[in-house]
Amino acid sequence: MPTYHPDDTDIRVEQSELAAAVGLGATTETVRGVPDDQRPRHTASSSRRKRGEKLMVYLGLAFLSIGFLLPFVWMLSTSLKTLDKTMEFPPQFIPSPVVPGNYWEALTSPKMDFPLFTRNTLIIAVLTVAGTVISSAIVAYGFSKINFKGRNVFFAIMLATMMVPFPVMMVSLFSIFRWMTDNTPIQWMGTFKPLWVPAWFGSAFNIFLLRQFFMTIPDELSESARIDGCSEWGIFSRIVLPLARPALAVVALFTFMGVWNDFLGPLVYLQYPEQYTLALGLQNFQSQQGGTAWNILMAASVLVLSPVIILFFLAQKTFIQGIATTGMKG
Amino acid sequence: MKKKDWAQLSNGLAFLSPWLIGFSVFTLLPIVLSFYYSLCDYTLLQKPLYTGLDNYRALAADPVFWKSLTNTGYYALMALPAGMLVSLGLALLLNADVKGQAIYRTIFFLPSLVPAVASAMLWLWLFNAKLGLINVLLGKIGISGPQWLASQEWAMPALALMSLWGVGNTVVIYLAGLQDVPRELYEAAEIDGANPWQRLRNVTLPMISPVIFFNLVMAIIGSMQVFAVPYIMTGGGPARATYFYTMYLYDNAFNFLRMGYASAMAWVQLFIILCLTGFAFWSSKRWVHYQGK
Amino acid sequence: MQRFKIVVSTILALAALAVLLFGPRPGATRPKDRVVVTYWEKWTNKEADQMKQIVNDFNNTVGKEKNIFVEYLSMSSINQKTLVSTAAGVPPDVAGVWDAQVPQFAAVDALEPLDELAAAKGITKGYYKPVYWEGCSYNGRLWAMVSTPAAVALHYNKRIFKENAAKLKAAGLDPDRAPQTLDELDRYAAVIDKKDKQGSLEMTGYLPMEPGWWLSQTAYWFGTDIFDPKTQKFTLTDPKVVRAYEWIRSYSVKLGKESMSEFRGSFGTFDSPNNPFMVGKLAMVQQGPWMSNYIENNRPKLNRVVTNDKKMELAWPAEKRRTNYEWAAAPFPSAVPGMKDVAHCPFDVLVIPRGARHPKEAFEFIAYVNSQGPMEKLCMLHCKNSPLAKVSRNFLQNHPNPYIEVFERLASSPNARTITSLGIWPEVNDELNNVAQRVYLLEARPADALRDAQNRLQEKYDRYQALQIARSKS
Repeated sequence: MPTYHPDDTDIRVEQSELAAAVGLGATTETVRGVPDDQRPRHTASSSRRKRGEKLMVYLGLAFLSIGFLLPFVWMLSTSLKTLDKTMEFPPQFIPSPVVPGNYWEALTSPKMDFPLFTRNTLIIAVLTVAGTVISSAIVAYGFSKINFKGRNVFFAIMLATMMVPFPVMMVSLFSIFRWMTDNTPIQWMGTFKPLWVPAWFGSAFNIFLLRQFFMTIPDELSESARIDGCSEWGIFSRIVLPLARPALAVVALFTFMGVWNDFLGPLVYLQYPEQYTLALGLQNFQSQQGGTAWNILMAASVLVLSPVIILFFLAQKTFIQGIATTGMKG
Repeated sequence: MKKKDWAQLSNGLAFLSPWLIGFSVFTLLPIVLSFYYSLCDYTLLQKPLYTGLDNYRALAADPVFWKSLTNTGYYALMALPAGMLVSLGLALLLNADVKGQAIYRTIFFLPSLVPAVASAMLWLWLFNAKLGLINVLLGKIGISGPQWLASQEWAMPALALMSLWGVGNTVVIYLAGLQDVPRELYEAAEIDGANPWQRLRNVTLPMISPVIFFNLVMAIIGSMQVFAVPYIMTGGGPARATYFYTMYLYDNAFNFLRMGYASAMAWVQLFIILCLTGFAFWSSKRWVHYQGK
Repeated sequence: MQRFKIVVSTILALAALAVLLFGPRPGATRPKDRVVVTYWEKWTNKEADQMKQIVNDFNNTVGKEKNIFVEYLSMSSINQKTLVSTAAGVPPDVAGVWDAQVPQFAAVDALEPLDELAAAKGITKGYYKPVYWEGCSYNGRLWAMVSTPAAVALHYNKRIFKENAAKLKAAGLDPDRAPQTLDELDRYAAVIDKKDKQGSLEMTGYLPMEPGWWLSQTAYWFGTDIFDPKTQKFTLTDPKVVRAYEWIRSYSVKLGKESMSEFRGSFGTFDSPNNPFMVGKLAMVQQGPWMSNYIENNRPKLNRVVTNDKKMELAWPAEKRRTNYEWAAAPFPSAVPGMKDVAHCPFDVLVIPRGARHPKEAFEFIAYVNSQGPMEKLCMLHCKNSPLAKVSRNFLQNHPNPYIEVFERLASSPNARTITSLGIWPEVNDELNNVAQRVYLLEARPADALRDAQNRLQEKYDRYQALQIARSKS
């Protein structure tokens, strides 16, 4: 699938197109090409133009923010309404009366044991995040820094697995866990293991993402370490990992969000109500035949979502630098 | 093979081993099984019965299969380019050096965090023919809006329009790409008297073309797998106007107990995505500029 | 900013750590000395809580006696979980599913047959109203038992009828009763239809697609079915079936496709105070006995015309009780002259999936739910009629729905029908709904849409049958 540059001695050149696709392949060659004396000189007209552009940006952002905030604002406002007002048509954005008690009701609802479900979710999240970060980093190193025959075939296979829809794999996967329960001493069914153990064997998306980061770390570093007699593991753990810390943070954050919101996995694999996760618990507030208490459902959703939103807000800078960091810029 | 090659190979495989093990147990086996099921009549609750290529033949003759496929294609034709443009535009705005970007970035990411039922409920109202916000606003400027989700012609464009709200993830990846465009290039362009549009065309776009390409590939995969929100909102209606490929696949697997048929659909889908991605790779030679070369 | 970040992250991290370290541990809720029967149910919210009461009753009485403990799990997407677990051979002991799944699962041999277990408890055909017994059977065996049943009836707004009394009388219709024939229903509807000055619909008498949950069963009221078990052929091109869909179409033609769709857009969802029937935008609607409960929850005023005192109302005789309600229920009229009390009877069932670990104990629970006392308690909570042949006086008298006798009569009627007993029913239903949508959107003539469906379904069914035969041979 990936195509190769004829000259594949230099890994950076050899990058498959997809590899470079994330943009991490973009080195800063051209930057160095700009002579010093051509650095910008600020003129009056350019700064006026700049101000005009900035104003446009502000206006654009403010205008679009309203549109993008709409779903969330609507969620918030529904969560503060009385039940009969939630179904008002057309809906009112400002609830009256305001019922903050919905949050208390959601927190103490017998349908959802918030502290217990939080604990369950955290256990799964911690184990999954740790597993994904460690294993994906190891595998990504293999895919980026060691040049061996057949590597690209494996890589293509890995990418292809991202394209198979989950529903058709679910039953087989479930049967595999069942088989392992019956035929190995490890109990799988009715535990959290089906949810977090696979994470310790790498996940395609994250391996792909990390591979892109590792490829931007100049090979001279690893090569010279190799000449100094450093083992591959040593290069990985002492040189590549520290340089890729922001990238690992991104993977951790993505994975955490994924686990926090995952619904299908826990639905299928968890057997007992006391094992439920938050995303699954939210389902208890919903109904297919009607009768959904929308205000309580939304209050519960806001409660479940807010840590993730705060996390994103705090991490967004790392996140953006993380993806973009080229390790050795400029 | 030389000795060094062997060392490389064993080292490489050692590093790949977690994935290789995980892949063969948790991925390869289910995938191979799903291919086998695609050659069977498999009701999920009985042993699969081998029927050769029957499922594939039935697919070719199934009008609903074709309908769902063309629906998905139609949706992708609208949602994909629009999504690419909007996400890029947003990323450019969010990349500008203005205050409060942390908040803006979070806001634009929010819709991708809101649970599907919540956004579905909201959009059902927004698209309401009579009382929905969209038609009310259109009415203010003298346009009588369409019936949106209740109409066969407008339901699909409505869903495509709605998909633009979920571009948060793509925006983040674009933002990452934009961080990599050296400032000096812009400054140089400015000195040459380039206007913002020229700067975008001649500096930004070529520099981030690898990112655009990556997002294109991901968008192809994504648009072939649209499912949750339309399933809640329209259930595929009216009269199958918004019946997506993955909905039909899901219905076959879990409502009609035709896992064999669903598996065949999955393999056809895999084939289509591979072709599209392959085409994208082939075309990328012309428009994607890699710095490394 | 930096300090703020550190503070917030620390708080988050500490909170997470605290929950992990000191948070609640899963307590063992299931008694060790009892056989634990797992029961997965698709209901959520009120219906789920009401079933929970029955489960608790069982655990405290029969369960305690016989050392059985039923563990109840309910969630709105549980169907998929049940299916995946059953496919992998680790099903729940009892699953609460829909009527459509009885033939579907029975045909693929995924359920434990219940005849012998039921017979041992003295539960035989005569114990049930025939329609439900039939619905739980497939190929001559019993595969499921009812959890709660229903019958579909016409609900009409007495106030709107009164307000239109003069016009109704002028059209030769009686404003004090329900329409008796389908033709009459159309005429009532036409009188009540009302447009505002701009020409937009303001009120309609009846809309076939509101709520449109049983459009696949429309043929019943036209005296036929969509499948002939004798010839094993679908009968969608039968003139009577075509007539049924012509009837659906006639409403789109009468009201105009655009203005009807615009009008429907102004409706709130079923379970909301803006339900079109509850707000009086729709004078007549096809619904089940639960409607009374939903009205009680969303617009209680409609159930309190005379008095607010529900206790007092319950003491009244049925006729007087009904004066306290703004609406009434009656058999949905049939298009066939002389054919009375036609009803579609949807129902929910309990099944024991093949491979369940404790089928005997599971059946103890199912039998308990199906004994008269608990069954009537559950059906009163859910506001549904009883599936059993014998109905207690208390049930009829104290039922929350004052029209329960209408539903009891419909469910016992010889013209009561249930879903067509086909293993591929979910697909048939899907296809028929599509036909109905094409017809009322005026996309295709009923005869054409039905012919397409006939060809597609017959081919599917023949293939399905052939495969099942091939399977039994191998």
